[in-house]
Amino acid sequence: MSTSTPAATPPDLAPFRPVGPIGGMLPYVIGIALAFALQLLAPKFLDRYTARIVMDTGIAVILAVSLNIVNGMTGQFSIGHAGFMTIGGYTAGMITYYGSFFLWGSFAKHGAMLGSGEWLFAASCVVGGLVAAGLGYVVGLPSLRLRGDYLAIVTLGFGEILRVVLQQTGKVIDDGAALRAMPLTKWFPPPVGGAVGFDGIPKYTNLFWVYTFVTLTLVVAFRLKHSSLGRAMISVREDEIAAQAMGVNIARQKVLAFVMAAFFAGIAGGLFAHEGGVIISPKDAGFQRSFDYVIMTVLGGRGSISGVTLAAIILTVLPEMLRSVAEYRLIAFALLLIVMMLVRPQGLFGIHEIWHIRRKRA
Amino acid sequence: MADFTQTLMTAIAIGSLYALIALGYTMVYGILKFINFAHSDIVVLGGWLSYTIATSPLRVPWLGWQLGYNLNPQSPTPPLWVAVEILIRVMLLCGLIGFTIERLAYRPLRRAPRLNVLITAIGVSLFLQNLGQLDFVFGASPEKMPALLPSWELASFSFGSGESTRKVVISLVDTMIFATSAVLMLVLEYLVFRTKLGTAMRAVSFNTDTAALMGIPVDRVISFTFVLGSMLAAAAGFLYVMKYPGMNQPAHTVWVLLGLKAFVAAVIGGIGNVRGAVLGGFVIAAVEQFGAFYISSNYRDVYVFALLIGILLVKPTGLLGSPLREKV
Amino acid sequence: MTASLLHAQDIGISFGGLKAVQGFSLQLPAGGLYGLIGPNGAGKTTVFNLLTGVYRPDKGAMQLAAQNLMGRKPHEITAAGVARTFQNIRLFPNLTVLDNVRLAGQLRHRAGLGATLFRTAGYQRQEESLTRKCFELLGIFGMQDRAHELADSLSYGHQRRLEILRALATDPKVLLLDEPAAGLNPQEKKALALSIRQIRDRFQVAVLLIEHDMGLVMDICERIVVLDHGVTICEGPPNVVQNDPKVIAAYLGGG
Repeated sequence: MSTSTPAATPPDLAPFRPVGPIGGMLPYVIGIALAFALQLLAPKFLDRYTARIVMDTGIAVILAVSLNIVNGMTGQFSIGHAGFMTIGGYTAGMITYYGSFFLWGSFAKHGAMLGSGEWLFAASCVVGGLVAAGLGYVVGLPSLRLRGDYLAIVTLGFGEILRVVLQQTGKVIDDGAALRAMPLTKWFPPPVGGAVGFDGIPKYTNLFWVYTFVTLTLVVAFRLKHSSLGRAMISVREDEIAAQAMGVNIARQKVLAFVMAAFFAGIAGGLFAHEGGVIISPKDAGFQRSFDYVIMTVLGGRGSISGVTLAAIILTVLPEMLRSVAEYRLIAFALLLIVMMLVRPQGLFGIHEIWHIRRKRA
Repeated sequence: MADFTQTLMTAIAIGSLYALIALGYTMVYGILKFINFAHSDIVVLGGWLSYTIATSPLRVPWLGWQLGYNLNPQSPTPPLWVAVEILIRVMLLCGLIGFTIERLAYRPLRRAPRLNVLITAIGVSLFLQNLGQLDFVFGASPEKMPALLPSWELASFSFGSGESTRKVVISLVDTMIFATSAVLMLVLEYLVFRTKLGTAMRAVSFNTDTAALMGIPVDRVISFTFVLGSMLAAAAGFLYVMKYPGMNQPAHTVWVLLGLKAFVAAVIGGIGNVRGAVLGGFVIAAVEQFGAFYISSNYRDVYVFALLIGILLVKPTGLLGSPLREKV
Repeated sequence: MTASLLHAQDIGISFGGLKAVQGFSLQLPAGGLYGLIGPNGAGKTTVFNLLTGVYRPDKGAMQLAAQNLMGRKPHEITAAGVARTFQNIRLFPNLTVLDNVRLAGQLRHRAGLGATLFRTAGYQRQEESLTRKCFELLGIFGMQDRAHELADSLSYGHQRRLEILRALATDPKVLLLDEPAAGLNPQEKKALALSIRQIRDRFQVAVLLIEHDMGLVMDICERIVVLDHGVTICEGPPNVVQNDPKVIAAYLGGG
């Protein structure tokens, strides 16, 4: 046995150690600034169609990276993520649509860039996220008793239940007078359009807000993964029994993962619902949409934030570029899944980030 | 009373279908320990292949083979043997497809983590659904299945009297569905519990490695199980379009929900347990039909999932299942 | 006679009809180094699982000093001060060697979500001291140069040792080692025996050891409990146990 020689602090922490108290906020600030720049410069370089794709990509990144917290980090296989997105979107839509009327007397978009209308929108996304997080808690609880396949089915069932429930909602009210006259009881079930979807939500989503929230999601995900909390979550994925034996409260980690993932999905839902050209509808809660995000986490590598981000970008942009063969999109995705599981089940990057690839080989 | 009886009749018919499909899920889960997501797509295939065979005018002249029966919704009802022939062909075709899927997509993952196989199964499911939607396969629009059975009423009951007389009908279609399913299920029961092959299947489901050491040809048994499950699923698909001739396109939610509910049936009965799957099928059908009638038909799908969540929380091993312990 | 630190009284569990452990009792004093032996299938690992809360005992009582352990969840029992290793190594394969240990070490330092996401000064200090402490622990078995390798890239012997370090990182009062010498060659076993004694002395932990290697057990254990078919058939210092006819019969299958 060798006597221990105290070594210098291992370099592990060094790259991630922010400078001083400002350092904690720095990545967030930088990201928001970049998003702002993107918003200002975009009209000069991007046409509307491309801008729309860039926004879609950002939304997909938020959803995929947040799903990664559940699927990749704690290893719980959830195929109901779109459900959280949809409830967040509907909540946010209700706030901006009906809120606009009660605040400013009209259902339409209000104010200029970063005007009061946009702040209402941003707040509505956050509230949407919180509502989704609450639902995430509810869905996370059964997860404590279930493993693998069963959990997948329950999360799928949750998405389907939500879809059916949303289909039973009433028509969107666009008559101001009727709205004022409505008693409180009439608000349940909420008038969000039923099966045809929630039409009329003011379209606030722009590059700035999308990428501000993308920044938030990425920084949070990254910091979470490389932290004591992240280690605890990953240990749940690696070996639950051993994790418990090392003092990890696996129930807490599992539920926390669901709650956090749902929060960001809800925000993405808010962004989605307010996107120009989109009418959020109950079928957005269904498993077909959830599968899209599951495919992204599988392709990118369950656990790798950069991998999943890359996969989200590829799987959002590519179908757009291949519009002409759109009907083959899902077949291609399906074959991709099958082939990946046969050939490279850990995804492109496994649990590691893109920049770790060289180190792993050593 | 009339409504109750009618609902009961429907529940029994639908329950038979759920049971047939659930058997496939439960057998595959028993031996390979994963949920074959693609199973419900075999049901779809069964339904759409039945349609294709029934309506196709194809002949292979030099063999004298009639590949299709060239029927359409306006045709007179063909003789009974046509229905039987179509059923058998569909079952054989789907059995073959099931065999191929297992060989190509699942067998290489025999030793992989279960989650990986689940993902593959999702992939296969998506693949089949969307392949079916292609124009040169089944197309993406609904079609109407021609009637293969005369719409006879085998019996009817009258409830009440005078103004409030309600008639409850037992139709030929429902009876045939139940009868066919019952025959298939009995054959399966015999196969699984009274033949050597069945014993081999059960041995593999308890412990694959030990079964192999005992000389059981595990690969062949597994393939056979898939074929069997697929054949039952195909039969269910065929019977389904007999009852509901207005067929939705392959990727329509209706099909997926059919499969999903059958899966719930398998879980409720105790996944891996063959008799449980049958029991579960009828339980689910009852919950769905009676819930839809007496509470609200809008939430039809919700009842089934709510029941699933309930069972998983209270007795995850299902009604007839046995508990599994993880060795630490 | 020192008061017992880990106290198990008549604990038992049945699986279906099988009485895996029947009425097991143990008094492990602070700083004690005890052994738990018995033929295969005797129920030794089951005893560990009972003591650590993986299985809930059907009957009996368990305490660590004054704290009741009965009915507590595994992570609570670890927090109370009972740590273990596993018969089949259960490291976290995709975490680095250092992270495996840090995961165990962070047990006593809960970091809040806000602190984590904003990287507050407090959080960073905690992470730093945790890392230092864990890095030092790696030095016990000379693993510091492998700190950033993935755990599953280590050799078998190193993995076994890492498991011990990981358990040690939880700051335990009692250390349960399940076959720590399995698969080691004779020199490694000698070194391990020495390490266990030194760990006990340096960290002031009581050790309970399941082992099949009689040489190692007789060498370092002060007292040995012998289990057969779930029942304690003998208990005492090594020389007593070695010569007990029931023990010999159990191992050699006589009677």
